[in-house]
Amino acid sequence: MKESLLEILCCPLDKHDLELEDAEYDDDGDEIVSGTLVCTECGERYPIEDGIPNLLPPDMREGTPA
Amino acid sequence: MKGQEWYQADDVAEEYDDKRFSQGGQLIDRREKRAVLEAIEPLEDRRVLEIACGTGRFTTMIADRGADVVGLDISAAMLQQGREKARAAGVSDRLEFLRGDAGRLPFPDDHFDTVIAMRFFHLADDPEAFLSEMRRVSSDQIVFDTFNRYSARSVYNWALPMGSRLYSKSEVSVLLAKTDLTLVDVEDDFIVPYGLYRSIPNVLASSIRSVDRVIGRSTVGDHLASVSYWDTRVR
Repeated sequence: MKESLLEILCCPLDKHDLELEDAEYDDDGDEIVSGTLVCTECGERYPIEDGIPNLLPPDMREGTPA
Repeated sequence: MKGQEWYQADDVAEEYDDKRFSQGGQLIDRREKRAVLEAIEPLEDRRVLEIACGTGRFTTMIADRGADVVGLDISAAMLQQGREKARAAGVSDRLEFLRGDAGRLPFPDDHFDTVIAMRFFHLADDPEAFLSEMRRVSSDQIVFDTFNRYSARSVYNWALPMGSRLYSKSEVSVLLAKTDLTLVDVEDDFIVPYGLYRSIPNVLASSIRSVDRVIGRSTVGDHLASVSYWDTRVR
């Protein structure tokens, strides 16, 4: 994902802003390939995996029954 | 969500495009793309969100026509294919993908101009909740399709791996009223259901399709059509 996406993303649970932590960029420096998005309100953490942010709420992530 | 597990398997994602869009599937693909473009163009500088974007066949096309696009899906495997498609098409700078739940979208109110959801509502267990969440993030337009209850689709529906929900016209009208959406246009098509198109050879697909089109133009066709494309506006 590009950093500009952060401007529109919000927490799926309470719609508050997200903060980027531990960001790793690709070689060109314009894509975030990994990191964590943290809700500034509830503290819920959303991982960026292989360049794709995972904004699935906790109850829908891997390992939780569909 | 019925399709949740089936659509997320890696092997399903890898074979998905081949399976869906070979042979008769190409006819469906072209028709769906036309339905989407007719509803949402002009696209220059529009903000567009696609729900359940899968491997990105619509998002890539929409970004290519000048919109800023976000594609949301539940499946990481499908989205990786989407990223590759976007890169190949040279539209990565205006197309972003993310995983998310269509019922709890990670976007602020009214952010997008247009929100689309193709081949989504047949998998929705609570269509009203999904539609009102789409409406929340749209300031102008929502476009989606439904498979129709009174059509040939109902005959083979039970055999599909992902399950499928069929809608009558009046059910959709009620949904639109409940979610405060105004109907701008609805188009019906495909008397012969998608499943048949995908399983027959190209030559045959084209000739069946031309018969399908002729019947589809008559009033009878409207009631038999297996798919409807809905173009709606936020009130």
